[in-house]
Amino acid sequence: MSVSLQSEAINVAAEYAQLVGDSPGAAVATFTGHVRDHSDAHAVTELELEHYPEMAHKVLEELGQSAAERFGLSSWRIVHRFGRLAVSETIVWVGAVANHRGEAISACELMMDTLKTDAPFWKREQGPMGEQWVASRDSDTERRARWQSRETQ
Amino acid sequence: MASGSVSITIKLFSALREALGESEFELDLTDISVVGAQVDVAAIKSLLSERGAAWKEALNQPNLVHALNHKVVFTDAVVSEGDELAFFPPMTGG
Repeated sequence: MSVSLQSEAINVAAEYAQLVGDSPGAAVATFTGHVRDHSDAHAVTELELEHYPEMAHKVLEELGQSAAERFGLSSWRIVHRFGRLAVSETIVWVGAVANHRGEAISACELMMDTLKTDAPFWKREQGPMGEQWVASRDSDTERRARWQSRETQ
Repeated sequence: MASGSVSITIKLFSALREALGESEFELDLTDISVVGAQVDVAAIKSLLSERGAAWKEALNQPNLVHALNHKVVFTDAVVSEGDELAFFPPMTGG
């Protein structure tokens, strides 16, 4: 039931053990995001993540709590990196524990879809062509909107 | 407010911070604050736009995000003494 913003590597095995240890449940779902070696048009050799610490923490706490309420989670965790990351390093990890797989999987999807557009992080890619800020994607905004339309149904 | 001095903290992130060369500063609102009148985010944007063409352009991007005390708001949100107002491009985490 917590958030971690960190510059150090994410220890996925330790995070999983902690998540399940906090609340043994029948269904555990997790998502792990890694740094890609390419973007739409070019190779990526390194990623830098800028963030707004106070706001990021608040937004992710509220997101975890709302996912917990919506899907009846007994435990959840959101871990996000900031600073410099090499290709293939883990950039984000989310986990959810529920009574059934549907709720656990949906909670992870909601947390990921929402954090990509609502949590104040900005990616800057470095590659053979130099450095550039990553532009937001319409597909991310659309995935985020799916959850809002379900909320109103 | 009664003392006559009104200030807020402005924070800039990502491409906006880079374009404007500042990440955080105090903004004195005394000149635009009228007793009894409310100052909103739009008024702050107008005030900062007077700093030059780069500011005007950066703060008038159609997809600019404004966060008041760590919450995304529209430009009609009312700003008060001691608030923290941040401007940044759309977020790209995850």
